[in-house]
Amino acid sequence: MKQRAAFCAAVLCLLLAASSAAAAGPAPAPTKTPIKHFVVLMQSGHSFDNYFGSYPGADGIPAGVCQRLDVNKASTHNCVKPFHLDDMTPPENLPRGLKVLSRQYNGGKMDGFVSAYRRLGHDGTTAMGYYDDSNLPYTWSVARQNVLFDRFFSSTPGPASQSYLDWLDGAPPNRSATAVQPTIFDRLGEKGITAKFYVEGLRPPGDVAGNGAAQSLKVPVLGMARFRTRTSPVQVVDLSEYYRDLAQGTLPAVSYIVSSTSSENPPARPAVGQSFLRQVTSGLIKSRYWKSSAFMWTYDSYGGWYDHVQPPFVDQQQLGLRVPALLLSPYAKVGHVDHTQLDYTSIPRFIEDNWSLRPLSSRDASSPGLTTAFDFTAPARPAALLEDTGGLPSLVMPAAANARASRVIYLLYGAAVVLAACCLAAAVSGRRFRHRRGARG
Amino acid sequence: MTLVSMPQTESRLRNRREGRARTSAGRLNGTSVQSAAVAGVAVLGAFLRLWQLGSVGFNSDEAVYAGQAASIAGNDTLMSYFPIFRAHPLLFQATLSLFYRQGVSDAGGRVLAAAFGVATLFVVLLLGRELYGFWTGLVAMLFLAVMPYHVIVTRQVLLDGPMVLFATLALYFLVRFCNEARDAWLLMSALFLGLAALTKETSVVLLVSVYAFFALSTRLRLRMRTGLLGVLAMLLLLAVFPMSIALSHATSTGGSYLVYQLLRPANHSLTFYLSKVPSALGLLLVALALAGPMLVLARWAGSASRRALRRPGPAAAGITIRGLTWREGLLLCWAAGPILVFESLPVKGFQYLLPIAPVVAVLAAHAVLRPPISSVRFTVREGLRLPLRIAVIVVVALTMALPTWGAIRPSSSPAFLAGAGGLPGGREAGRWIDANLPKNAVLMTIGPSLSNLVEFYGHREALALSVSPNPLNRNPAYVAIDNPDLRIRRGQFHYLVWDTYSASRSPQFSDRLLQYANKYHGVAVHTETRPVRSRDGHVVQRPIITIYEVQP
Repeated sequence: MKQRAAFCAAVLCLLLAASSAAAAGPAPAPTKTPIKHFVVLMQSGHSFDNYFGSYPGADGIPAGVCQRLDVNKASTHNCVKPFHLDDMTPPENLPRGLKVLSRQYNGGKMDGFVSAYRRLGHDGTTAMGYYDDSNLPYTWSVARQNVLFDRFFSSTPGPASQSYLDWLDGAPPNRSATAVQPTIFDRLGEKGITAKFYVEGLRPPGDVAGNGAAQSLKVPVLGMARFRTRTSPVQVVDLSEYYRDLAQGTLPAVSYIVSSTSSENPPARPAVGQSFLRQVTSGLIKSRYWKSSAFMWTYDSYGGWYDHVQPPFVDQQQLGLRVPALLLSPYAKVGHVDHTQLDYTSIPRFIEDNWSLRPLSSRDASSPGLTTAFDFTAPARPAALLEDTGGLPSLVMPAAANARASRVIYLLYGAAVVLAACCLAAAVSGRRFRHRRGARG
Repeated sequence: MTLVSMPQTESRLRNRREGRARTSAGRLNGTSVQSAAVAGVAVLGAFLRLWQLGSVGFNSDEAVYAGQAASIAGNDTLMSYFPIFRAHPLLFQATLSLFYRQGVSDAGGRVLAAAFGVATLFVVLLLGRELYGFWTGLVAMLFLAVMPYHVIVTRQVLLDGPMVLFATLALYFLVRFCNEARDAWLLMSALFLGLAALTKETSVVLLVSVYAFFALSTRLRLRMRTGLLGVLAMLLLLAVFPMSIALSHATSTGGSYLVYQLLRPANHSLTFYLSKVPSALGLLLVALALAGPMLVLARWAGSASRRALRRPGPAAAGITIRGLTWREGLLLCWAAGPILVFESLPVKGFQYLLPIAPVVAVLAAHAVLRPPISSVRFTVREGLRLPLRIAVIVVVALTMALPTWGAIRPSSSPAFLAGAGGLPGGREAGRWIDANLPKNAVLMTIGPSLSNLVEFYGHREALALSVSPNPLNRNPAYVAIDNPDLRIRRGQFHYLVWDTYSASRSPQFSDRLLQYANKYHGVAVHTETRPVRSRDGHVVQRPIITIYEVQP
């Protein structure tokens, strides 16, 4: 009888333990680094020079650049120099395509950014515009306190939709339209590692109007039959679930995020993206996952904007132009500008390295990954939201003014107290002196 | 009305005679009994001011003054939240900053405030001795040592405790000036009044008291040259305040605060002081202090009516009512100045009338040791007089000590006691914020009180919803949130903090904050609770502070 009772108690305990473990969420899969949760985000339509061309320490816009109006003419008369774009003017939606890119590339001279548009009948000067800290306070703040990659290229010179495939399947050189190309989610699914695809403003399947059309390009897994099953290794969900997962402790190991209205794609103003980026990154920083996470974001294409770096070749395949890419993590090097040549395939490569997965293609297999951006020898940095109050007023004095005020206060108030003390001493001693004189008299 | 009952020269001679007698009989270290009594009262006063000093966290004002002291000391963290110049002069904060150079602590700051409180006890002893003799000084010291008003305020990092020390020193030297007619004492009085004003500028109202005393006095004359010298000495010290602001290039602070205080809407009703201060002083003590002046007034009113009705006066019944001397006149004027000025101002604060506490203590002590009324028919035997006086002193002291003990004992009540210091759960919530929320997180609170605590203990920026965006209607030391909804939507506020204290003061802003929490998917990430007894008698945990994480 006692044995039966003990057996029942043991079963009960096991059940309780199992239920509490289930309530706490799945145990994180084993990783080679302290990063247990990796979040990647793809924004749209900006070149590196367009966003970070004036960033200190980065390979930014060279001095003396002036793009001719027509590359076929030697005259530099009225050539267009890089200029700062203000917040008020919405950027022009510059036409993009292989033909335009080829003209801009101009055999590697990188001098046809204005000329290519003028041939299409556009003014073209907008392509030479750039943003800086004043337009992108949050993005620059992330760069200053984390890692900015200044040699991160699009994996292929193709359209933006290609980029959304490249960061999933490692940009195989011989991608086939008919054959099933494995994605990073297949690899993760093989090992039972959780993954989610968060989509801002997710439309129901079949809705191809408006954002729905763009959605199918940005979320290629929606078009892959194996990811529409119940056993799919990745769930495609609305972005609101990302915040819910952060709050409830159900964030998967790997999260892919794409935006729609907040994608920064011109002619949208960068301010829209700033707010969005602050929200998604702050959500992670505020959450319980911060100490074991990394957040990386990049851009799906150069957006037609000027970039001065000639794209290199990898496996005899030319990369696209440079795009901004940033890494935010408690293990990211502080204020580091990473000059390693990377492209979208470095993202699956990091996931493969971290969770011990097989490579997807020769491209991701040969990618250096993101190891140079991390410093796992140092302890995780404490959670800190990036300082950008966006104009919240403050009465606080700068440190130097504070120090000067302290000195003034010690001097003046000290003098007041000393004066009172001296007067008191004089008054008391004067009285005693009079008493003594009186006694002698 | 004649406040001074003797000619000046005669007064001086008599005072000197009395002074010598008092000096020989009442010197502090003259007898071991006196020394022991003084030490005992000082220990009692120190105990009441230091007992469980850190059991409750700072209240809003304490956090501001301690934060300013930390900024003066160069504390990198608090410097980011508390600008040095806000509203008041900085003598106390500068003193505290010398200690804060070794590290910031709330209990440590309160020890300094308590030390000022204990020092005031000794000054009251000197004042009472100078006016009426050693034993009056000692009894006044005892009364002040256990007085709830003085104990509660000097247990907090507030400017009023140190200010009252300097103000009482100014009064002491003024008494010596009246006694000895030595200009040096008037200069000392002015200098200490200047130090009081450098601690808290509101003490300049005591100039009104001094002026009233000399203006009403028909026998004591103040030479114009001496008076001007005193005023100049005070102004010389007071000039340190604007000079420090000007030399620090912080001229936008200070002046606008004074304008705001004078023109702001009333924060309490006209009966605020009447309802709060007498009970904090001790009702019996106030009754004793006012007994003499009231009896004189009654005698004056009675004699007028008797003359009309041709009735015999109290003297015919063997009753003698002692008249008022310049001493009572000075003490009454000293108390009347702050009462009249602060009652007429729209802004009222619990601790504003603290300068009258030493005066009330001395007047009451004098009334006990030398009753203002006597009767030939009801005489107390010589042997019973001392025990009777001691009994009265003990009773009066106990009526104050018991409420004081009740106020300083650590309480788990969620209610906020005016002037008692501490916002329930404020320190605990602040420390939780410091330990758990990411650096640079920005919080929105209902009112500025909790904002100050969040910044002091939590080391995070906090702005209050109730601060008016209209600069004419807000304290210039606070920053308003223009369009809070938009700010949350832009992700500039990450957490909202709701608390019972602020919610009870500003229910409409409490509702707005909760609406924002609801609108922006607020999730309660932390709740401070306090046990309360429910209607059915069970003890339940009542939330007093809730921190919501918002996600636009």
